[in-house]
Order: sequence, then structure tokens, then C-alpha cells
Amino acid sequence: MNKALRDKKAILFFILPAALLFTLVLFGPILYAGYISLCDWNALSKPKFIGLKNFKALFTKDDVFLTSLKNSIFFMIFSLVTQQIIGLILAAILSGLRYGKNVYKNIIYLPCVLSSAALGLLFSFILKPNMGLNQLLAIFGIQGPNWLMSVNGYIPLTMWVIGVVALWIYVGTTMMLYMAGIAGIDKSLLEAAYIDGAGKTKTFWHVTLPLLKPMARTTISLTCIGSLKFFDLVYNMTQGGPNNKTQTMATWLYFEGFSYFKYGYASAISIVLLIMCLLVTFIINRCISVKDFEN
Amino acid sequence: MKKITIPKVIIYIVLTIIAVLYVAPLVWIVLVSFKTNAEVFSNPFGLPKVWQLGNYIFAWTKGKLGIALWNSVFVCVFTLAVSLLLGAMAAFGIARMRFKLSGATLTYFMIGMMVPVHCVLIPLFVMFSKMKITTPLFEIRFTNSLIGIIIPYITFALPMTIFILVGFFRSMPGELFEAACIDGCSIYKIFFSIALPLSKTGIFVTGMMSFVNTWNELLVSMVFISDPEKKTLPVTLTYFVGPYATNYVQMFAAIVIAVIPTIVVYSIFSNQIVEGLTAGAVKG
Repeated sequence: MNKALRDKKAILFFILPAALLFTLVLFGPILYAGYISLCDWNALSKPKFIGLKNFKALFTKDDVFLTSLKNSIFFMIFSLVTQQIIGLILAAILSGLRYGKNVYKNIIYLPCVLSSAALGLLFSFILKPNMGLNQLLAIFGIQGPNWLMSVNGYIPLTMWVIGVVALWIYVGTTMMLYMAGIAGIDKSLLEAAYIDGAGKTKTFWHVTLPLLKPMARTTISLTCIGSLKFFDLVYNMTQGGPNNKTQTMATWLYFEGFSYFKYGYASAISIVLLIMCLLVTFIINRCISVKDFEN
Repeated sequence: MKKITIPKVIIYIVLTIIAVLYVAPLVWIVLVSFKTNAEVFSNPFGLPKVWQLGNYIFAWTKGKLGIALWNSVFVCVFTLAVSLLLGAMAAFGIARMRFKLSGATLTYFMIGMMVPVHCVLIPLFVMFSKMKITTPLFEIRFTNSLIGIIIPYITFALPMTIFILVGFFRSMPGELFEAACIDGCSIYKIFFSIALPLSKTGIFVTGMMSFVNTWNELLVSMVFISDPEKKTLPVTLTYFVGPYATNYVQMFAAIVIAVIPTIVVYSIFSNQIVEGLTAGAVKG
């Protein structure tokens, strides 16, 4: 048996195809993107090496990029806070439910499997000034604002609206994962707490919550990286407008790269995005140390 | 029978309100997609007076959603088949074969989960637009062809597939493979006729996840394909909304067409999907 498992040819046969594809389509291109980001290159000309000038221009000259950076960070923090709190509360409530648990669970999770491009379009209609939500508000005599065109303030109303739609779509994932985490907790631990006289709230706070820490790490990473990569929803709800006020890093990268064909410049944005993703993952793994309580 | 208490009633009321918040937008879009443009404004929330099937026919044919649907199906089937096979092979190699670098290999694939697609967009686009395979009979191009998006889709499906399947292969009892080995089974045969069939649940779960991601992917497909006959569903939908910007009802119909397949798949398999999607994360 051992000999068969150490067979070099078989190991290569199993792993090589995937590893090759992975290297050629993912890692090679990332390195290439790193090089392009150091070049002045629009689709027509030849790439010209200019060092870190693209990055310097990003942070000093490009107001839209700075807006997009601010917006992406806003989405990350907003999604993180709202999804963690609401997702955890929903998970705690649904887990304790006797009837209808699956029905509610499946309904709340539904948008996560639907195309966020289609949902973005759907909400761009619901939030149009003369349609959907505002028609509903008009029945009660309320004049609704122009949800997707308000650009005043440091974080414009439109950004909050997109954030809430994102919450509506993605809170299901966080909830699901926490429910799985709660289901995986050893029941005897909870019983021990009850026997020791802890109430429901106290047990949740002091037993369940600490045991959900590994799951918290997973959900926090997923939410953070997911919201940094945010593209479909913003593109289909506002296209980064009005006046580039709702650009995120992903949409601005798309416009720079494939509307203005500034390959070098867009690659620099993608490298900043990559670094942010890796940094966030690193910080999360550092800050949330997972101790194994069960052993 | 437990007593019905007031807190419980409140919980159910709150949950039902939330459920309504989730279902209402979807019901609204279905209702308005059957109306006329005038009716959208005169009678926004009632049932349509006459159910306008024409909206759907227009979106399906003129809006090219019909073609896009088949493109998406083709892309999904191809991506799933290849990524599941390659992913399962790699996962089996990592989980069961004995070699020094097995841990490092897993980490290598896992990094793929953190990397945003956006980074490889420009390099891949440049590479693919230069590449061309010419044979006497046909020519394979990588931009503006479905192959060009299937390749990145397969690659991006791999990390999750490998991650989940490694868990499945590791949890299988080693005696099983040993017995097969003693009976003279080669390692390849062990994989294809024992390990693979036994990991059916895992394959199903990862298949579902890859399906959801591939079916909904917008960015890569939007960049790589400009021929309207080859666009996938999310892209066609995104473009359809632009040019006909005032003809709302047809766009509503298009949105419904785009989400219906996933809703159908989800309602048939919802419990398995939900269990499966979490299985991967829990194992990690």
C-alpha cells in the first residue's frame, strides 16, 4: 500500500493538471500584472517601464481612485458590522426555533445564490425615483428621495443604499455559517452551563459565542474580501455614477482598464486591491487567535 | 406540547416580516414583468390586467436572452465537468498520496481563494488575445470565444473544489484503500472506482457551489466576450438594460428570465445546497 501511495508518477498524474492550470492562469498572470503595473501602457502602445509612477499617480493625482478606495473601505466596514451583528442574531434565533426553521433559513439565503448582476438591476428599478419603493411610499403620502442619485456628504446616501442592498443579499451567508457553527457545538457543554444555573442569554454569551470564534474568523474573512471585490452590484446599480461618487476599486479598475484601455494604470489598481485583500486576511488571522476549547 | 409564549410570537412576527422583505422584491418584479409600461405607473402593486407574455418573447428573442441562456448552460456544464475532475484528482493526491510537499501544495491552491479575479483580468486578456491555435480544419481563439472564459472559470473553481474534497478524501477509512490494494487494484483504479464514487456528496456540494459562481459571473465574461451571440446570461442582461432604457417591462421580463433557472435549482435542492455550502467552511 505504502509503495502505491508514494508512486511519483501517480502523484504527478493526480496533481499536475490542476497545478499547471493554476500556475498558468492564476499565478503567472498575477506576476505579469505586477510587471504591467510598473509600466506606462495603453492598449495601442508598447509597454514602457516607468517604475512606481502609476502608484504615485494613484495616491496623489487620482481623486476618483481615492473616492473608490474610501468607498471600498466603507463597504467593507459597513458589511462587516451589519452582517456580523444581524447574521449572528438571525442564526441564534433560527437555531433555537422549533417550527419553520428551514423555511426562514432558505428564504433568507436565497439571494446569495441568485445573480448579483440581476439583483443589482432589480434594485436599480426598485429604487428609481418614480418606481417601486417610492411608489409604495407615495401611498402613505411620503415623497421618497432619489435613492441612487444623491451624492452629498462624505458618504453619500447612495452608498448607504447600496450597502443595505448588499446586506440584504449577503447576510444569508453569514447567518448560514453561524447556524452551522451553532449546530456543531457539543450539546453537553450547553447542558453543563444550564445545570450550573446559567440562563439562556448567559449561556449564549459565555459558552456559545466563544465557541463560535473559528466560524467568526471564516465569516469575517469572507465578508471583508467579498466586499473589497465588490463589482456586479455597483456596476449594475449606479455604474459608479453619478459623477464617479460611487466608484469602488473594482469598478474603477474596470473603467480604467477596459473603457480607457490604460492597462498599466488599471493593473496598478488591481495590485493595490490584491495587497489589501492579503493584508486583511493576514490581520484577521493575526487578531482572531483560535484556541481549541474542546480539548 | 410547549406553551406558546409572547416572546415566541414576537420572534415569529419579526421573522415573517424579514421573510416578506426578502420575497417582496422578487414578487414585485414578476408581477410588473407581465404588465404594460403604462400599467407599471398606474397600477404598480396589483395583478396585471392582461398578462403580457409578449414581454418575455421580446426579451428571449430580440434581447438575445435565449441564446445567452444556452451559452451559460454550455459554459457551466463544461466548467463543472473539468473543474470537478481536475479538482478531485488534485484533492485525492493531496489527501491520500504520501509526499513531502502535500501540505505546501494545498496552501498553494488555497491562496487562490484570497486572490481577486480583477488582478488577472488584464494579463489574461492580453495573453489570450495573442494566443491562437490554428489547425488545418479549425481555429481556436481565446478571446471572444466561450473557451476563453471557461479556462479562467475552471481555474477559479479549483481552490474551493480542492478544499472541500480534501476533507472528504481524508475522512475516508484507509483500510478501504488497503483492501483494494491487496486485491491488486492500481492506485488509478482506486481513485476512479472507489474514492470518486464514495465522495458523491462532496462532488455534489462543490458542483453546486461552482455552478452558482460560474452561472452568476459577470466581470470576466463582460471583458472577454464582445460578440452578442456568445455572451453569457448576466452580461446579456446587463447590456439589454442599456439600449432599451425606457421599455421597462421587457427589462423586467429579462431579469426574471435570468433568475428563474437558479430559483428553480435552489428550490429543488435548497436543503442539500445549504448543507453543502456550509460543509466546506465548517471543515476549515
